[in-house]
Amino acid sequence: MILHTASEGITFAKKLENDSADFYENLAQRNTQDAEAFLSFARDNKKNITQIERVYYGVITDAIEGCFAFNIDPDDYTLKTAVQDGANYADVLDQAVEIERKIIKFYSDAAEQSKPLMADVPRAFMMVARKRENRIEKLGSFLKS
Amino acid sequence: MALLEEPIKEVRTIKNYIDGEWVESKGEIIDVVNPATYQTIAKVPISTKEELDAAVEAAKAAFPDWRRTTPLARSRYLFRLKELLEESFEEVSRIQTQEHGKTIDESRGETRRGIENVEVACGIPTLMQGYYSEDIASGIDEWVIPTPLGVFGIIGPFNFPFMIPLWSAPYAVATGNCVVIKPSSEVPNSQTRLAELVEEAGFPPGVWNIVHGGRTVVNGMLEHPSIVGITFVGSTPTGRDVIYKRCGDTGKRVIAQCGAKNFMVIMPDCDVDRTIAAMMTSFFGNTGQRCLSAANAVIVGEDDAFYKSFVDRVVEQTSSIRIGYGLDESVQMGPVRDTEKKDRIMAYIESGIKQGAKLRLDGRKNIKIAGDYPETCFLGPTIFEDVKPDMKIGSEEIFGPVMSIMRVKDLNEAIEITNADPFGNGDSIFTTDGKSAREFQYSVTSGNVGINIGITAPMAFFPFSGMKDSFYGVLHTQGREAVRFFTESKVIIQRWF
Repeated sequence: MILHTASEGITFAKKLENDSADFYENLAQRNTQDAEAFLSFARDNKKNITQIERVYYGVITDAIEGCFAFNIDPDDYTLKTAVQDGANYADVLDQAVEIERKIIKFYSDAAEQSKPLMADVPRAFMMVARKRENRIEKLGSFLKS
Repeated sequence: MALLEEPIKEVRTIKNYIDGEWVESKGEIIDVVNPATYQTIAKVPISTKEELDAAVEAAKAAFPDWRRTTPLARSRYLFRLKELLEESFEEVSRIQTQEHGKTIDESRGETRRGIENVEVACGIPTLMQGYYSEDIASGIDEWVIPTPLGVFGIIGPFNFPFMIPLWSAPYAVATGNCVVIKPSSEVPNSQTRLAELVEEAGFPPGVWNIVHGGRTVVNGMLEHPSIVGITFVGSTPTGRDVIYKRCGDTGKRVIAQCGAKNFMVIMPDCDVDRTIAAMMTSFFGNTGQRCLSAANAVIVGEDDAFYKSFVDRVVEQTSSIRIGYGLDESVQMGPVRDTEKKDRIMAYIESGIKQGAKLRLDGRKNIKIAGDYPETCFLGPTIFEDVKPDMKIGSEEIFGPVMSIMRVKDLNEAIEITNADPFGNGDSIFTTDGKSAREFQYSVTSGNVGINIGITAPMAFFPFSGMKDSFYGVLHTQGREAVRFFTESKVIIQRWF
């Protein structure tokens, strides 16, 4: 089902953050070598939720079209967070990069759609997307090291 | 989509809040019904005149000390209230949805607007400063001190149960007055929760009182000699013929914000996508139960192709609006508040058909409700074409999800029919042409004018204006005008020998 309302968009963003946080917490247990980094990703995800909620609750008003804020198909951003049995470290890092790319795409698309309606929410979305670009670089460096 | 958790879980009998105490009423008790589920969620008293009198006496008794509390100290109570409201933001919002039926985004928007008024009133140490002239004559100085007046009555409507009393109450108490609030008995839970937070913020007893009820309480406020002023939001007949007139008779200050029939003028050069998005929220947001809801869509120009394609898109988009219980985040339009209002809206739809308007979308039929809820209070969005300004649906306030489309040859004609309407609450124009926008805002006799804005709701630091039959009074709620309304100018002229 397509997500239209501002509330749905924010809830979906939170779901992506929580699901990927669970993925990194799982990864930290399985791969002790970069466990601290994975746990810090999970903690950052929680901070992202706080930041997004704060801007949403700050700007939601009847001056904007809150019931028609987005046009998001959640199926376009389905995350594969279950780690396959027998997956090696390179595989799970690839999986992490794929998750990050999906989430970046969600934030970019959602920011573009809601830009005419809300100033702060798209800005927060893009900030989180940029943070995730850095995360992809970091994930790449794990493989090299 | 899963339903958000309901904050009201058990039916309780709501109490009045008088002199810092929660007091059971001796009046009749009536049910408060969730319009989406049609289940009783609370019981509210129709309080007696004696109960109102007790609240007014408590407010009167609290006034001298509260007035002597410094503006800075008073603002700190409001800062504490603001913090508590932020902490309770989601709960307060969901209560509104549960008792009123609006969507959760709409409720959160209402909560934010309410809190913004508290925030603005927090600035009272500077907002209520007076002014001073030295040497108005030799050795004589003169200055003005805005002083509080005493006890104010605040009468709230059903459509914004949380926000609208906050257009007045924070400014009233910030300036040193005390208040008695009568929420709508249809939606009493939001103001009750607000009063609980007021109590938690530590406001002294008697400064902020709530008396639930109906006409007895309203009449008691209008007659009470210790109430110095009233703010009211509701219908024009009540606002004009009852509140405004009787405040005049009894020498009270008054702000009476009344009904509306808002025009949205659509120029052929408008940004079609953005205009249609704004129309959806303006006509159908809050299920059309908003004094700033657009009611008449006036499409300008003789280009038949533009008209047809624009209206077809409006109908298509409107048909896709998801209807249901507002605690389902996917829902874009909730029910109307009760069956009486639904019947009234349906009667208007019937009159539109009888008077010859073309029914493009019939909200009475095939209502698709998301989830398993009774159809009792639900109504789909309705669109009429070929509406004339003298038809009932083109001239009277329907207060429901009904769009009346009119067609005019040019902007002058659009302004003419907008101004011929007896209301003047919130009219807007959608255009990419600055000259048209300027001409519209200059010429239209409306209190709140939108240029590419569907809901012309002023921010808390601007007055919520209104003209003609939409407003009776002089000063308005919100911002600096509210500060002026709740204070009297005491002018001092001083000379020392």
